[in-house]
Amino acid sequence: MITFKLNGKTVQGEEGQYILQVAQRYGVEIPTLCHHKALEPAGMCRLCTVELFDGRRSRFVTSCNYPIWEGMEVKTDSEPVHEGRKLIVELLMARCPDVPILKELGKKYGISDTRFKKEEDTCILCGLCTRICTKMGNSAISLTGRGVDMKVDTPFHIQTDTCMACGACASVCPTGHITLEKIRQNVTTHPFKPIASEYDMGLKGRKPVYVPYAQAVPNTPVIDRSVCVHFKTGGCQVCTEFCGVNAIDHTMQDEIVELNVGSIILSPGYQPFDPSKFDAYGYAKHPNVITAMEMERILSASGPTQGHLVRLSDHKEPKKIAWFQCVGSRDMNKCDHAYCSSVCCMYAIKEAVIAKEHSGSDLDCAIFYMDMRTHGKDFERFYNTAKDKHGVRFIRSRVHTIDPVPGTDDLSIRYISESGESVVEEFDQIVLSVGMEISPEVIGMAKNLGIELTPGNFCETTTFEPVATSRPGIYVCGAFQGPKDIPQSVIDSSAAAAAAGEILSSARDTLTKAKEVIPETNVIGERPRIGVFVCRCGINIAGVVNVPSVAEYAATLPYVEYASDNLYSCSQDTQENLVNIIKQKNLNRIVVAACTPKTHEPLFQETITNAGLNKYLFEMANIRNHDSWVHKNNPEMATQKAKDLVRSAVYKVALTQPLAEAELQIRPSALVVGGGIAGMTAARSLSRQGYETHIVEKSPDLGGQAKNLYRTAKGEDIQQKLNGLIQDVKQDANIHVHLNAELSQMDGFVGSFKTTLCAAGQDTVVEHGVAVLATGAYPYQPTEYLYGKDARVLTSLELDRRFMEKDASLSTLQSAVFIQCVGSREPDRPYCSRVCCTHAIDNALALKELNPDMNIYVLYRDIRTYGEREYLYKEAREKGVIFIRYSLDRKPEVIQNGDTLSIRVVDHILGTPLEIETDLITLAAAIVPNRDEKLANFFKVPMNSDGFFVERHAKLGPSEFATDGVFLCGMAHYPKPIDESIVQGKAAASRAVTLLARKTIHTSGTVAEVVPAYCSSCGVCVSICPYSAPSFIEETARFNPGKAQINPVLCKGCGLCVASCRSGAIRLKGFDNDQIFAQIAALNEAM
Amino acid sequence: MNLMEHMGIEPGRLQFSWISSAESTKFVETVKSVTQAVKAIGPNTTYKKNPVKVA
Amino acid sequence: MSEWEPKIVSFLCNWCSYGAADLAGVGRMEYPPNIRIIRIPCTGRMSPKFFLAALREGADGVWVSG
Repeated sequence: MITFKLNGKTVQGEEGQYILQVAQRYGVEIPTLCHHKALEPAGMCRLCTVELFDGRRSRFVTSCNYPIWEGMEVKTDSEPVHEGRKLIVELLMARCPDVPILKELGKKYGISDTRFKKEEDTCILCGLCTRICTKMGNSAISLTGRGVDMKVDTPFHIQTDTCMACGACASVCPTGHITLEKIRQNVTTHPFKPIASEYDMGLKGRKPVYVPYAQAVPNTPVIDRSVCVHFKTGGCQVCTEFCGVNAIDHTMQDEIVELNVGSIILSPGYQPFDPSKFDAYGYAKHPNVITAMEMERILSASGPTQGHLVRLSDHKEPKKIAWFQCVGSRDMNKCDHAYCSSVCCMYAIKEAVIAKEHSGSDLDCAIFYMDMRTHGKDFERFYNTAKDKHGVRFIRSRVHTIDPVPGTDDLSIRYISESGESVVEEFDQIVLSVGMEISPEVIGMAKNLGIELTPGNFCETTTFEPVATSRPGIYVCGAFQGPKDIPQSVIDSSAAAAAAGEILSSARDTLTKAKEVIPETNVIGERPRIGVFVCRCGINIAGVVNVPSVAEYAATLPYVEYASDNLYSCSQDTQENLVNIIKQKNLNRIVVAACTPKTHEPLFQETITNAGLNKYLFEMANIRNHDSWVHKNNPEMATQKAKDLVRSAVYKVALTQPLAEAELQIRPSALVVGGGIAGMTAARSLSRQGYETHIVEKSPDLGGQAKNLYRTAKGEDIQQKLNGLIQDVKQDANIHVHLNAELSQMDGFVGSFKTTLCAAGQDTVVEHGVAVLATGAYPYQPTEYLYGKDARVLTSLELDRRFMEKDASLSTLQSAVFIQCVGSREPDRPYCSRVCCTHAIDNALALKELNPDMNIYVLYRDIRTYGEREYLYKEAREKGVIFIRYSLDRKPEVIQNGDTLSIRVVDHILGTPLEIETDLITLAAAIVPNRDEKLANFFKVPMNSDGFFVERHAKLGPSEFATDGVFLCGMAHYPKPIDESIVQGKAAASRAVTLLARKTIHTSGTVAEVVPAYCSSCGVCVSICPYSAPSFIEETARFNPGKAQINPVLCKGCGLCVASCRSGAIRLKGFDNDQIFAQIAALNEAM
Repeated sequence: MNLMEHMGIEPGRLQFSWISSAESTKFVETVKSVTQAVKAIGPNTTYKKNPVKVA
Repeated sequence: MSEWEPKIVSFLCNWCSYGAADLAGVGRMEYPPNIRIIRIPCTGRMSPKFFLAALREGADGVWVSG
């Protein structure tokens, strides 16, 4: 350690350090233009000149490259130093009069104009560029020439391939003399292109060291070895100089890790189709033809334009945007993708609506499509709203070519309108709704694993084992299983987990380690002894906020016994240190001023539990995300804000009390309501994973609607498979089937439900830890199209019945008509029943098999054979099934004339009415949910206006309810085909097992609590709580009869009841009134 | 809100907004507009419990 | 202080605006340093008492965001 004086203050530095380094560490500012932390100092710009007194005399030295020595005295801002710097700035300003950084320096030193003769240069010859180039391991440029001719250049002033166009010189150049453009033109012969950000679809660049995107897990930077200079030259490694914890190791090698596993789940996903091969759309040529993925980034608040809708050619706001559907989907000619990608219709509508929201309603959005496929839950409603409320135009037409409009960046298209006219229209921007495809890498992986693929290169599965690949033990989920959207992928993934869990159930808990439990110190009644730990977060916080002064300030606050600052509070060693300090100083409340509690609170809570403190005796002050990161140009205010936030946290933590988390036993059994395919699948999966399961079915037998179905879209025999499943369930000793039974009473909550089943007048009480609702749906009974009046008019299920009975009359039919959307997509039932298009087309094909000469017509509104079901649609057209589209306002008419049954419909191509004589009409009757209000009430779960249950989260929680311990599957969620019902049945079981496997759960400590003495029994809390946590204590109870009580197990701690309690009888532990008042007071103190 | 106005709290001194956790841009915009609005109204003197206590 | 700077007490929902504030930090977006954030579990917790208290304690503005 060397001790010396800096501006009269005694400071210390390490042997070999320079004055500037030590000064910077002590927060003493010395101006410099040519210094870089990772480079050897050169003393080129002379700005860092300081006055050095060596005991006898004073002299001037450049602080960046003058090593410190014992006893020296340095003045950084004396009058002579100031005057000297002023002259240097003035001279530099004369050399480079137009450089902003010098102008700024001039302003700082009070120089408005230079007295010297002005030159035109922009280079100050600081040599940063040449030094960094050497550091990069290249030495492509150097200072050439001598005296006044000196300049930065390549040898002999020729372009060189030594320069790798890494851009390091431009990045360090203080004056802007070196630009990337100059490097490209004068220096390098290498191709010059920015590194495209994969996340931003190449619309933005990224660095070789980068975090893929803000929410990446783990949120740790990675080094892209393919572009990092170090891996090309062995030089650079500048990043290691800046990393405060020496986390970067360039010598790390890829490792091959061998794992012993019992099962493999494949979820490799898809890649968006690349439309550049379609010349007619000119995606590669026209900047304003973009893919939908690019549009997603442009609309995203975190995207390259911060959510500001602009087109790429001129960054102007577009006034007219068109979306082209089915680019790379439903297209055999140009890209060999015959399947439908399932998601594009919905995302295009979503993008159009968001674009309108961002840009105002005068933005014109047009979607060009073939069939609008909004078959997901609530999607049809969204489609209708986009059309009727937002004015998105939907044009049924496939556009062939995009032409640029000469002299502009606009685009012109020609299309045939629905009425058959040729229309030319111009757009500012065209979005290609690209489909999904499986990447060659994934296809290669499938080959290596020896699993079979479908014609579309998706993973081959069967309807009854929809997440099992062709190889036992290997499961699949997500878009690799078939094109699908987020909810369906989430359902899939839970199902795959259940499938793996079923075969590995005997191994469950064999590799878990028990955690050592540290006994909790009782702090109740103790005076608060608060410890405050202020985190530097490397330079993330300390670079802006004066961390030591915040820690010093914290030490002065009431009850604070200890305050210090750490480099990284979350690092392993600091955590251990924290535990030691808590023990040593006997602290009983902890404040960590660092990043956000949303990511780090659990970590610190665990640490203080290791020190024997209750985890609720803790508070965080968010001085990074809410302070240093957002006020980097205002360090003074940021430091003040940090102090305010710390004070607020200290005042709050002083009032915290240890909170108890109730431990709750989870009864290892389940109740499944509904004995259809979904319910039975859930039950079988639960049983295979070792949990006793009860199935309640109100009808006399198991099977549900599947009993009425003939065959799957893949041609499998449903009855045979269904009977197999029923046998499995019946023979399973772990599954108890209650037929002809209904729920008559329900009590309890997650972990300990108590349900009374009533069967044949007899009550049985079942105790269970979780419940799965699989109550299914039933077919709509049509009143239209002469159904019930003419025996030749059937529903699809009735036709299936005839197929199953091998009705010989079917093969004698001359003509058959299918009418789609009977009761679906109508004002009364504004949803798509999802399965009917595929079902009708498959039945049409089945009829064709019986009699290839039969005339078959399908009257439809949009054909929705999503995913690889599209192949059936194609096959049907090839086999001569005729598809005639009708619209809601011109529905077909069925006419009975004596013995002849005929149908009248307006042909959409010819525009003329047609009359078809037919022997059979099959109605695609809607799927209607069993609107079971009683059940919804029992389990306190919501239903939407259509009567389907409302899941916890439409995208991320599709198989569970907001009510803990209650799960959902099958058609009670939404109409779905068998494979999707099975997947969701498994998914619901999987979600349930995540709870059952824990055996016990801890409720949160931050829950609401009633003070009975203040309660006026008004019932506001009971009615307002979204989680049904409050209830009245029974009138006959011994204590507090009639008052409200809150079940801590159900309470989510939102505080709604607290705010609405008119008697002030409810408090929210951890966010109590006095705590929030203390925070308010703290924030307003010392203003 | 009307009640607050009735009590003499200037509209604008009390602001409400709804921002999803992904809308950082909207958050920043809202902070700016809230700060602007409060600046425009000027310091709160009416409701401060002890206007003398200014550190 | 040359120019008067308002102090604004903000009550942010843990799940919505508080997360947005975190993300604004991650994005290094800059905004005026006048707000002081109090994290509440949900805007349902918000009570008129809190903003009245804030004004009484001397805050120049109160911002509640869900």
